[in-house]
Amino acid sequence: MNETPDQGPLRTPPGRLFRKYLYSIVALAFAALAINTGFDVWFSYREQKQLLAATQREQAASAAIQIGQFVGQIENQIRWLARLPPELSTNEDERLNAIRLLRLSPAIAEIAELDSRGLEQLRVSRRVADKVGSKTDLSASPAFRGANESRAYYGPVYFFADTEPFMTLATRGVGRNPNVIVAEVNLRFIWDLVAGIRVGNTGKAYVVDRMGVLIAHPDLWRALQRSDLSGHPDVRSALDGVGPPSGGLVKEDLTGQRVLSTYATVPSLGWLVFVELPLSEAYAPIYASIGRSTFLLVVLLIGAVLVSLFLSRRMTGPIQLLTQGARRIGSGDLGLRLAIKTGDELEALGDQFNRMAAQLRYSYATLERKVVERTSELEKARDHALAEHDAAERARSVAVAANETKSRFLAVVSHELRTPLNGVMGVLQLLDDGSLGDAQRRHLATAAASGETLIALVDAVLEYARLEASTEMLETRDFRLHQLIEAAADLMRPQAVDKGLTFDLACDATVNTAAHGDPVRLNRILLNLIGNAIKFTPSGGIAVNAAAEQHDDHILLRITVRDTGIGIAPDMHERIFEDFVQADDSVARRFGGTGLGLAIARRLSRLMRGELTVESTPGAGSTFALEVPLGLAASGIAQGALPPPSRQLRVLLVDDDPVNCEVGEAILNRLGHRATIARNGASAVALARDQSFDVVLMDLHMPDMDGVEAASRIGKLGLPRMPRIIAVTADVSRSARERLAAAGIAKVVSKPILINALREAIEDTPDAPATAQLAAGALIDRHFLDDQKELLGPTQIAKLHHLLQETSDKLIADIAKAAANGDRKHLARLAHQLGSAAGALGLVRLFERSRELEETAPALSASECQSAAQDLAALQKASMSALSDLLGPAEQLPIS
Amino acid sequence: MIDSPTSRLGGLIAGLRQRGWVEGVNFRLELRSSFGPPDRLKAAIQELLALQPDVILTGSTIETAAVLAATKTIPIVFATANDPVGNGFVESLAHPGGNVTGFTSSTAEMGGKWLQLIREAVPDIARVGILFNPATTPRGGRFFLDSIEQEAAESGVSAVAAPVNAVADIDDAVRRFSEPPKAAMIALVDSFLVVNRQAVIAAADKYRVPTIYPFHYFMDAGGLMSYGPTLEVRSADYVDLILRGTKAGDLPVQSPRKYELLINRTVARTLGLTIPFTLLARADEIRE
Repeated sequence: MNETPDQGPLRTPPGRLFRKYLYSIVALAFAALAINTGFDVWFSYREQKQLLAATQREQAASAAIQIGQFVGQIENQIRWLARLPPELSTNEDERLNAIRLLRLSPAIAEIAELDSRGLEQLRVSRRVADKVGSKTDLSASPAFRGANESRAYYGPVYFFADTEPFMTLATRGVGRNPNVIVAEVNLRFIWDLVAGIRVGNTGKAYVVDRMGVLIAHPDLWRALQRSDLSGHPDVRSALDGVGPPSGGLVKEDLTGQRVLSTYATVPSLGWLVFVELPLSEAYAPIYASIGRSTFLLVVLLIGAVLVSLFLSRRMTGPIQLLTQGARRIGSGDLGLRLAIKTGDELEALGDQFNRMAAQLRYSYATLERKVVERTSELEKARDHALAEHDAAERARSVAVAANETKSRFLAVVSHELRTPLNGVMGVLQLLDDGSLGDAQRRHLATAAASGETLIALVDAVLEYARLEASTEMLETRDFRLHQLIEAAADLMRPQAVDKGLTFDLACDATVNTAAHGDPVRLNRILLNLIGNAIKFTPSGGIAVNAAAEQHDDHILLRITVRDTGIGIAPDMHERIFEDFVQADDSVARRFGGTGLGLAIARRLSRLMRGELTVESTPGAGSTFALEVPLGLAASGIAQGALPPPSRQLRVLLVDDDPVNCEVGEAILNRLGHRATIARNGASAVALARDQSFDVVLMDLHMPDMDGVEAASRIGKLGLPRMPRIIAVTADVSRSARERLAAAGIAKVVSKPILINALREAIEDTPDAPATAQLAAGALIDRHFLDDQKELLGPTQIAKLHHLLQETSDKLIADIAKAAANGDRKHLARLAHQLGSAAGALGLVRLFERSRELEETAPALSASECQSAAQDLAALQKASMSALSDLLGPAEQLPIS
Repeated sequence: MIDSPTSRLGGLIAGLRQRGWVEGVNFRLELRSSFGPPDRLKAAIQELLALQPDVILTGSTIETAAVLAATKTIPIVFATANDPVGNGFVESLAHPGGNVTGFTSSTAEMGGKWLQLIREAVPDIARVGILFNPATTPRGGRFFLDSIEQEAAESGVSAVAAPVNAVADIDDAVRRFSEPPKAAMIALVDSFLVVNRQAVIAAADKYRVPTIYPFHYFMDAGGLMSYGPTLEVRSADYVDLILRGTKAGDLPVQSPRKYELLINRTVARTLGLTIPFTLLARADEIRE
């Protein structure tokens, strides 16, 4: 089975379903994962921020506690000193205790002990010399007053030596007159504490006092600058007692870095501990978490894609398998079995497919068997038909062969009949020696007429046989249509006039043209039609109409021949074109004829692809219509298209043969030159002397003086203007040419004269094929004869035919006499004359044999001469007979 | 230079390394000594300025004054200087302004403290000699002499200045305090004395004159006792900040935070001294 052509467009794009599934699953997985991850990240972010802020608050609180502890420890130490009983030691011991305390607590720069009245008893310092018992009254000092008023005094932060943050701390002893211990604490020692507070990796803690002045910072120099931060909004709000935001505050720190900030208050001191963590670090875990989530999302997506690929393949695989299976079943592969093992509806579908394919396979197998059977039957029938055809063909071949045999038989018989008939006719002519009586002469005439009729009948049978055997071939060439029709009319008109009939020829102007066809056959048809019209018209007239319809590639010739004759019955309209049929038997009896004329005419018409039809009413006359397509004439070849001569020449034509003279004159006239005839060499020389000629056409063989001699004499005349002398001869041997050259003749035109050859020679066209030879073998060169007919016209040809008949008869008789007398020279000259005359009308065999005899005569014996003369006579008879055959219809009474 | 160049320079280089500055990799250290003839200091400063450094670190007050006189643009960090405000180096300690900042050493009151401490070790002295080179000590020694003389007057001791101008003078200057009435000596903050501490210690030993020194370097050379600020090396901190673009004038001058008392009991015993409890209690380190 062949693939159906519409399968291509039906093909589904491979993987479309697969992609659809894949994209859907991937999109679903992506959406789920992305939403999940998004929520996860968002909540995680919020929680982390809260956690971070809480952690930072814890750190701030822790730092505040540490600072509070630091100060509290110092307070405890000086409280320990204050509570030592006064009676425990002398002043010196007091000093020692103070020194011990300094050693214990590096932050304490100086300790002073005041008595209950505020008088300084002792001052121990790290920088200045200690003072003992100076009694300086410090009762008005804030420290003393503060220590007395409350349990402990915390002085404000002050800066010693411009940069060092200090604070005064004072406590009071117990007892009735308690001493007051005043300590100057160097707060730079908090720096160690603050620098040690770890806030993340890059975060920091710093401390401002109750006024907002920076007192401790990991960058020590910032604290030493006494920076007042109370202008910062967060510090300000903290100093105003606003609690830190729960999520922490994002702000820019002192270096311009964005930080997450929170603070705690140091208990009892009122200082603020700020804890700041750069956002980059604070949110790093959040970013890391987002990064992890994103990474996880990507990994899961890849996983989802892979799973989707797997799933899509699982889903689309069987479907593609089904599609391919359907396609292969569609393309005729019914042996396919789909192997789908999915254990679901798809597998069931695949099984259905397989069953369907099996069913189809079975159906096809049955169908194929039927087809084989039917094919075999058809083959048998065909063989039978072929055999019958062969048999029919064989039968047809046998029939054709039989027909051919009949035609050949007819041809042979006709030909064989002619020879004795010719003999009979000759004898009949000989019988009339002038001594016959009237009755005898009438009988003789009747016999001669019967013989003529018999000969015409045999010729018709012969031609019909040839047509029947399809051996007749058209011989086409260019010709003048007008001339052909007029010639036929001219030929037949006298018969009509003799019979008392009118004869009208009406040629349309379109007929005046050249055409390409077989003019001889066309002429035969015309003569037959006109002849019949004359024959079957007792009174009235004949009208011939001709018209030519010009088409692109051909000319359609229409000729009608209308008569007022006896007419033809309708049932005979077709039969008259059949073989051997005449209108009715009485007609045959009344008019005679073979009954082959119209059959031949129709066959010739059809041979020319034309048609011959008839319209007729009995008693009212008949109209025969001929329609023949003719080819277009090649320009310049047709007679009328001969190029005009460059100028008119005066030509002297020298020939002793009257036929050649006639032909030569006609050709020269046709070429547009003026011809003068000389029948022998002497008159030629005389004419050349008396008149002026441009060209002399000189026959070389003449009785009195041959052409070469005549040419020499003309050359010796000493004419003022020497004519060009052209030899006309059949002898083109080298010796002949050398002779001619010696006599001043450079140019030769071969015999018989061909118009083109002559034109070229006269016009001095160089190197034209001037020596075209007549066709050999046949008795008559029909082509040449047709050219001559074309050239000279039928009337002239008929005249020449008569002339040739007479001349050749006379020459044959003379040749017989010369042969009998043994006059070889005369024989040769006579033979030359005969050849020359024969060549003029294309009797080639006669021409050749005459030339042979002319050449060989001097060497022949007497018997050979007689034998040659007899042969030549027979040949002359045959050739003239053949010529009559060819020209017959045109010049003899039409056969019928 | 006031202190041992090895320890201070070592501290600086180590500190810078901690902050990401590696010598020969991303910074270059050019050392010039100013010690020698007077014109040596000038030549050293000219050499350094010709190098167009990013920061100049000076050893003490004298060099700082000289460099500051030569440039007002190149940042200067002084490792130790007494009274930078009084010397006109800075406008104030908290906000120095200009192109200089640094670290201060002992304050002027420390003179009275030294006298108190040596009197506690040798209670029966009638006079105290003050050893210094006027050329290399702040204000020709006057910076500390005021507080010493005030404390001497309060405690009934006569304060006798013992200026030296050359190493050769040291022996003679010390020798004068070996003779009665009984005397002790105070060596002032003086780079000359630091550099020639061996000679000073040797003379003090030789003539058995109890002497108190301002830095622990003297203790390493065999001195009796020293009291002075603990020099917490922070110069690397400021050099780093300046190299990173902070203006020197924005960085506050740092003052000492801690003071340490060192006593060599062996030397005291040699001198026939008994160290009292008050000193022992105060001492941060007692060497045997």
